[in-house]
Amino acid sequence: MSQVASLLIALPLISAFFVPVLKRIKQSLIMPYLILITLIQTGIAGWVFYEVYTTGKPIIIMAGGWRPPVGINLYIGPFAALFVLIIAVVSFITAVFSVKAVKVEPIDKYAMLFLLLMLGATGMIATGDIFNLFVFMEITAITAYALTAYNKTGEAAEASMKYIVLGGIGSSFFLIGVALLYGATGTLNMAHLAELSTSINPIVAQVGLALVIFGLAVEAELFPLNAWAPDAYQAAPHPITVMFSAFVVKAGLYAMARILYLLQKANGWSSVLRLVLIMATLTVIFAELSALRQRDVKRMIAYSSIGQIGLIALAFSLGTQAGVDAGVFHMLNHAIVKAMMFLGVGYVGITLGGTELEKFEGLGKRMPLTALALTIGAVSTVGVPLFNVFWSKFRIIVATLQAGFIWPAILVLFASMVEAVYYFRLVHTMWFSGSGERVKEGWIVIFLLLLAVLVVAIGIYPTPAWEIVKRAGSDIFAVANYVKNVPLMGVIQ
Amino acid sequence: MISSYYFGAIALVLIGLYAVLVKKNLLKILIGLSIMETGVNLLLISIGYVSGRSAPILSEGIGPNQAVDPIPQALVLTAIVIGVATTAMALSVAIILYEKYGTLNIEEIRRLRG
Repeated sequence: MSQVASLLIALPLISAFFVPVLKRIKQSLIMPYLILITLIQTGIAGWVFYEVYTTGKPIIIMAGGWRPPVGINLYIGPFAALFVLIIAVVSFITAVFSVKAVKVEPIDKYAMLFLLLMLGATGMIATGDIFNLFVFMEITAITAYALTAYNKTGEAAEASMKYIVLGGIGSSFFLIGVALLYGATGTLNMAHLAELSTSINPIVAQVGLALVIFGLAVEAELFPLNAWAPDAYQAAPHPITVMFSAFVVKAGLYAMARILYLLQKANGWSSVLRLVLIMATLTVIFAELSALRQRDVKRMIAYSSIGQIGLIALAFSLGTQAGVDAGVFHMLNHAIVKAMMFLGVGYVGITLGGTELEKFEGLGKRMPLTALALTIGAVSTVGVPLFNVFWSKFRIIVATLQAGFIWPAILVLFASMVEAVYYFRLVHTMWFSGSGERVKEGWIVIFLLLLAVLVVAIGIYPTPAWEIVKRAGSDIFAVANYVKNVPLMGVIQ
Repeated sequence: MISSYYFGAIALVLIGLYAVLVKKNLLKILIGLSIMETGVNLLLISIGYVSGRSAPILSEGIGPNQAVDPIPQALVLTAIVIGVATTAMALSVAIILYEKYGTLNIEEIRRLRG
């Protein structure tokens, strides 16, 4: 029965192949088809989530019936179940949003790439094999390149080209890292790799791990490698921006945390951890300071998103259980808040024809509900109590201090202040300046308000979400459990 | 003594990286990316090489003990296809860039900034 969960990968793949067939039949069927498939995916993901959290056992799928490490296995533990659900729900929302937002260009190719992006991110989260992770990462990356360039303007092509060049370097480095780890251990399976990690030569482990982290940092938008991100966010179609921010980045971050903690017994591990810590802190500082001087709201929120990603990476690089839990909690909150923000900004962009700050003047009078959602998102991102991001930011800061890193905590708090400045400038522009006619808001507002309710609900009752997140966090941190759950061939349990 | 395969593979990666970092022409950068991918593939293959053994195809006279490691070959097969797909994607984007900007010099392709 649990093999049904492999449909999470199979369904988007098969349905992506049916899009060209459907186009021959009737062009107007493509968008409803996309919505239907993402809805089914949400159903499967919801079932998987329910199954994993009620039984407490991860779903393990062995491809072709070969036991790992010979075959490839998918490992859908608490973390993967949670994030597969988030991916599916966000995809559904963006599919509905795409009906309104994407009209100008060939829609069939858009639908195909959309489904493949969802497939790639799901696979990255679910896989239990590092080369398979590379393949899914490339599926995600190549569809992301194509979707960034989708608008066919000069800016979109420029952003996509930056992404392709950086992504190409990153994937090459990742592959070299995989080659080194394979050469040292002779295995590609994550659980088997964790078992063998004590015996790796420390230099090989350090260099291999650093190269893998470096490669994944392109997808995860960490500091020296994130120059493509704001451009891509600005130039990509609005629904795709939502997907980038809500889960494509998360998949990269998760892969990074997973591989990092798999090798925690290897010699020289802590120096790699320190590298990630420095990169993460720099990401937060640079992103928030760059956001301060943006005139384009979409670009500003893109920088803010990168800053939050830096916070998550900081939490993952502490090397403690508390840090990992807080990081996963922030991933969840950030997915909700940033999906809402980019949805709102994108909606304003297609209704008023642009996302410059001037377009947002008097938005409180013209589109009050959208402005309300954006305000809740802004206030929440800054970290005001009674909103969800406050709890996760608070836990990250506490975990950082507990781990003994005073300076990163101070710098991150300083960055939060900078964040408050530009977000309150946006809120001020929306409510207290300009004027205008009331513009009719469509049904997309329903999703915005639902997400806003979720933001406030988690803010007021964080405990249920925190319980879920703690189980997902221990899925990453407690590698011994992870290894025990994977039925390795020839290993006595 | 480092095997010449490893040396050559890493040298190819570094040459590719040099081209990406230093060259101004977009097509030269893409050529650099391709060279880098080739170097990585060569490194992967040479990791699976066992001196004196033959290709991992089971046939008359060649048993499992006389073959090189077959896994890196599967990996490289996948990585080559991915590399070609990325290059094709990048070249089509380069065509759009040339149509819109009229140049392939990366110092003149700067409309997004800030």
